[in-house]
Parts: sequence; C-alpha cells; structure tokens
Amino acid sequence: MKVAFVTPRYGPEVMGGAETAARQLAEHLVADCGAEVEVFSTCALDHVTWEDVLEPGDSELNGVTVHRFASDAGRNPDFYGLDGKLRLAPREATRRESQRWVELNGPVTNRLLAALSESDAQVAAFYPYLYYPSVKGIGHVPMPGVLHPAAHDEPALYLPIFRGTYTNADAICYHTIAERRLVQRIHPVADRPQIVLGLGVSDPAGNGRRGGAVLGIGERPYVVSVGRVDSHKGSVMLASFFATYKERHPGPLCLALVGPVSAEIPEHPDIVVTGILDEGDKWDVVRDAKVSISPSALESFSLVVLEAWQESLPVMVNAACDPTREHCERSGGGMWFGSYREFEAILERLLDDDDLRHVLGRRGRAYVDRHYQWPVLIRRYAEFLGQVIDRGRGTTGVL
Amino acid sequence: MSATLEPASDSDEDAYLARVLSEIEAEVRAKRASGELPARVERELDELFLEFSPVAGRAGGLHDALRMVDAATFIDPVVPVGSAKSGGAVVKKGLRSLSLWYVGYITHQVSQLATAVSRALHILDEQVTDLRRQLDAQRVPPSLVVEADWANGPDAWWVEEGVRTLAAARGRVLHTAAGDGWLVRRLTAEGVSAYGVDPRPERIERAEFDGTDLRDEDVVAHLRAVESAALDGIILSGVVDGMTAGERLALLDLVVDRLSPGGTLVVHSLSRAGWESDQAPVAADLCGGHPLRLATWSFLLGEQGFDVRAQPGPEGLDYLVVGVLGDTVTASR
Repeated sequence: MKVAFVTPRYGPEVMGGAETAARQLAEHLVADCGAEVEVFSTCALDHVTWEDVLEPGDSELNGVTVHRFASDAGRNPDFYGLDGKLRLAPREATRRESQRWVELNGPVTNRLLAALSESDAQVAAFYPYLYYPSVKGIGHVPMPGVLHPAAHDEPALYLPIFRGTYTNADAICYHTIAERRLVQRIHPVADRPQIVLGLGVSDPAGNGRRGGAVLGIGERPYVVSVGRVDSHKGSVMLASFFATYKERHPGPLCLALVGPVSAEIPEHPDIVVTGILDEGDKWDVVRDAKVSISPSALESFSLVVLEAWQESLPVMVNAACDPTREHCERSGGGMWFGSYREFEAILERLLDDDDLRHVLGRRGRAYVDRHYQWPVLIRRYAEFLGQVIDRGRGTTGVL
Repeated sequence: MSATLEPASDSDEDAYLARVLSEIEAEVRAKRASGELPARVERELDELFLEFSPVAGRAGGLHDALRMVDAATFIDPVVPVGSAKSGGAVVKKGLRSLSLWYVGYITHQVSQLATAVSRALHILDEQVTDLRRQLDAQRVPPSLVVEADWANGPDAWWVEEGVRTLAAARGRVLHTAAGDGWLVRRLTAEGVSAYGVDPRPERIERAEFDGTDLRDEDVVAHLRAVESAALDGIILSGVVDGMTAGERLALLDLVVDRLSPGGTLVVHSLSRAGWESDQAPVAADLCGGHPLRLATWSFLLGEQGFDVRAQPGPEGLDYLVVGVLGDTVTASR
C-alpha cells in the first residue's frame, strides 16, 4: 500500500494537534504495517504566517519520504479583515468570499498539488480540512482522498467553500463521534465511508523523578493541566477557578500548568507554570498528580486526556467540549464541569475520595487500552485505507 | 465528603458513578441556593467559562442562561479607582465622587430595565417549563427497533431476495437497524458498498474492530445529514414496523429524496398478524404505531413514483416490499 499524506506543516518541530496526528499515523503505517508513505507539505513551521523556514526538496524522516514545497503565498494581511467580517455570519458568506478566505488564509500551494497529482500513491490523506491544500486537493487529484477534518465548532466550518471539501472526500476519518456529529450537522456527508479512529498513545516514559520535585513544590499535592497555556485553551479560566477554589479551600494543593505559554497567568503562590517540559519530566508530573484537568472547550480529540488515563489518573474536562466529554462518558473515567460551582464540587469530591479517583482512573485506563493503543488503532486505519483504495475514486470534485 | 465503596463489576461501577454524579449535582444546587458565593464573583467566573465555549455549548439550559442574566442585572455605579500611576487613584476617586450622582442615576435605570427583562424571562421560563410538562405527559413513545430473531437475522427468508435485489448497486447502500452489521457484511461480501446505522450503541460496538462501517445513529437523523440522491439503496428493516403514521411519512419523504434515480428501497416489516402474535418482540407492545398492511405500502410507494414488488412471508407473519424509484420522480426534485 502506498499512501500520501497532505498537510500544510510536517515535522517534529511542529507544535499542533492535527500535524502531530498526521505524522504519527504516517510513521506508524510505515513501522507497523509496512506501508510506503510519502508526505506532501510546505516549508512552514508557523501556522500564522506560513513563512518558508525549512528547505524545499525531498528528505526522509523515520521511514517516511517528505516532499516539501515553498508556498506560492502565505497568510495575506487582508485575511484578518475578511475573517472578522465572515465569522459574524459564516453561513451567509458567498462562495466567492469564502474561496477568497481560503486563499488569503494560505498556504497557497499549487506546486504541492501538482506534484501530488503526479504521485503514484494509491490514496491521499488530507489533514486538516481548513487549509488550501485540502480545499483544492480533495476531489481534484487522481487517487481517492481521505479527509481527516480535525474539525471544531468554529465559524470557518460553516463557510460554504468547505461543503465541497467534505462532499468531495471519498472517505472521512474522524477523531471522535462528537466530531462526526458536528460535521454531519453542518455538511451532508453522513453516507460517506467513514471511520472514528482517534489517535494512539505512546507508553509512559518518565525520568523516574517525583512530580513534585520536577515542579519544585516538594511533597505538596497537585492537580495538573497539560497543553498550550492559552486563554483559548481555557488556561486563564482554569487559573481563575483554581485561585477561587484555594480562597475557599485553603491548604497545600497546587495547580501545575504544563506546556508552551502563550497567555499571561496571574502570579499565584499555588500555581506553577512550567513552560515546555521534556517528555520524561512531563510523564513524571502527570503520574504523581491527583487529577488531570482539561479546561479547553475547543478540542477535537485531546491526547492529554488519554495520557492521563495511561497513568490511571482521573480527569476533569470542560462540559462544553463534546470530544473530551465523549471520552469521559464512554469510558467512565472522568467528570465534566460547566461552571465554577461544578468545578469546585467535583474537585473537592475527587480530592477527598480515594476510591472514586481509583475507579475513574482504572476505567480510563481500560478505555485507552481498548481503543487507543497503536497496534489496534493502526490496524484499523490500514484496513480502512485498503477499503478506500478498493472502492477507488468517487465523482470528480467540484468547487 | 468521602465514599468507601469499592465497586466490583462494571454495572456496580456504573451505578456507583451515577450516584456520585447525582450527589455532586445536589451539592451544586444546594450551594447555589444558599448564595454563599457572591453573585458578582460567580458571574465573573461563569463569564470566563463561557468566553471560549463553542456556540452550541453556550446554549446550555434556559435556567443557566437566566442565572447569568440575574447575576448581571445589577449595574454597579461605584467604578474601581485602582491605578498603576502615582496619584492616579486619587484623581479617579475624585472624578468618581464628582460624577457619581449622574452615573448612579443612569445605572439605576439600566438596572431597573434589566430587572424587568429578567422578570419577563423568568415568566417565560415558567410557562415553557409548564408547557414541556404537559407535552411530556402526552408524548407518544419514540418508535423502537422491532427486532425478532426469526425475522431479523441472516437466516430470515427475505434476506436472499434483499441481497439479490441490491447486489448490482454501484453506489452506497444503507441498512437501518443494522444490529451487529450482519447484513452489511453480507452485502459487502457481494461487492456492495454498504453501511449501516443503529440507534443502539451496544449492538454496534464490536463492529468498530472488524472494519464494518456502522454508526450509532437514528435513521431519520442520519438521512437528514445525507445529500439528495446520494444513496443507491436503502433497506428499512426493524424500523418502520412500530412507527406512527407521521413518523413513517416523514421517513418516506427523506427516503425518496436521498435515493438516486433508479435507486432501490427494500422494506421488511412484521405484518399485522405477526405484530399480534406471541412471536412478536416485546417492542411491539411499547411502540406508538403498528405495521401497515402490505397493500398500504404498495399504495404509498406507488404514489411516490416507485415501481413496487411485494411479497408476504411464508407464515404470513411478515412481508417484504421492494420499490425501485422512477427516473421521473428524481428528475422533478
């Protein structure tokens, strides 16, 4: 089987859920299934500017052939004005407006698409739905196309241009049932061959240090939130909730925010902001936490929730985030909060109740073992791609 | 708060977790009613929560939305005077004192307006809640999957005919109430691009690991998310038997729209005799509707432009209807 992945950014330097997912699937297809995989990507690392940073040309990364192309255009400054206008009523945007939105958003990559059309790959996997390569590629290249949407409930999803992106896909690979439900609510693609796959988790690999030592808090108990520290990701809200909780429940409990920082968190004696930790330290911190909290309402999958369950840790998630809530409902491994009141009541209960934490952690771990260990997951994905190849290309795509 | 229970099995754990959740909900309600957290603090925290919630998540419940309205009703005219610049606080405090009579007059009126709006919304909420209670009391039970071992499985008499009818389909074929995917697998083995939906998640779980394309979805919700003329075949088995007349006609409208020109509809249903017999499944007693007579299906599908073929089962307990959608119907859409 020969598979082409199409993603605007690719490589270990790229911080991004969708891009990391694409790389993991590509590398596991090679390593676990013996597939031949090539990637068509740009030279960009930054998803805001799409500036060409890496060298164009061919290279190999962990068994995957990577073809990089300089972009014809990155993000145009006019994008922000148009985006501000269209996001108010995205369904009302005209096709021309939304097509222009995609072009201004970038990266415009016609050379990449021309090269993909020349490839002898049997199937192309496009990741994610939002950018030019997927919009202009799906349905317009000779091989069948699988769309990995990585969709959130965001204004762009409602733009008319993306109806073609979805309906031209020969098959769709979702992260969660919630993502499928969201996409099907907006675009008429329920009949498309599809799979709810998600992502695999790697084995925990700590450095063997105490989590409290990594955080510099000694033996104090703590809860942890792993991921980008960003107001959009709920980190500011979590810090405020936690500060209020500590005012009302004084004690040694700390909050550790672990991940790249792009929002200012007010200084607080019980909140530790670590920045980026190496993988070993991160696992040490997660392992010794009392509870893992995912405050983001805008996740399409959330590996960090699954990683917490790898360590049999109970989790708390944002009730407005359908994918993480779905993980908790299906697994019975976590609880969700929709207000400060609920946050406080759940956290208080979890911290006081060892049995409850144990039950949630065990059920979360069982859920991960059943659905998200790489050998299981990559076999399902390879079978799915095989079926897509057997069915072949659908109708010619239209924009 | 502490629990010492160590549940033993999954069902014990499910019950345990449900009890914990209901205890937490009760505690949240009690604390909210007690007002021990200042309303302004709660409002600010809830606003932070909602700031980056997705559109759908913001809808929440009407009660929650009203809580936010109530918390925001009072407009505070005493503005903060803190300042990073030396003397800034003194200047701000002076300005505040000078303008308080004016700002206070305005905010008082705005607060009064907000209170009136909040009161009106509460009345509306009470009326909607009351209406909902009345509707709940009169609600027709949702149609259930009507599945009998003898009628809905690989050995049932109609399966060969159904598979033969659809074997030549070139596009997608949908099986509703697909169960564990037994018919989808059979059709796939014949080279048909088949998939299934079933509203019972526990029935389709196994298929996740054997590559069968099954989804945990209700048939009507599913068809609403399908493009016009996207399907070459639809098999309705275990679905239409217990539907009410309205549900059945709404489904039929969707089926006609979603089938491609020349597309095939296969309907399997218990007959009236089968519905009344001891061999009928329990669901037969719980549904809001009952099966149509064979002749009625022929009539309904004929009216919709199908070329209809009907066949009663060997015992008279069920029947099969096959309809092929005429090109003229789809051309007129």
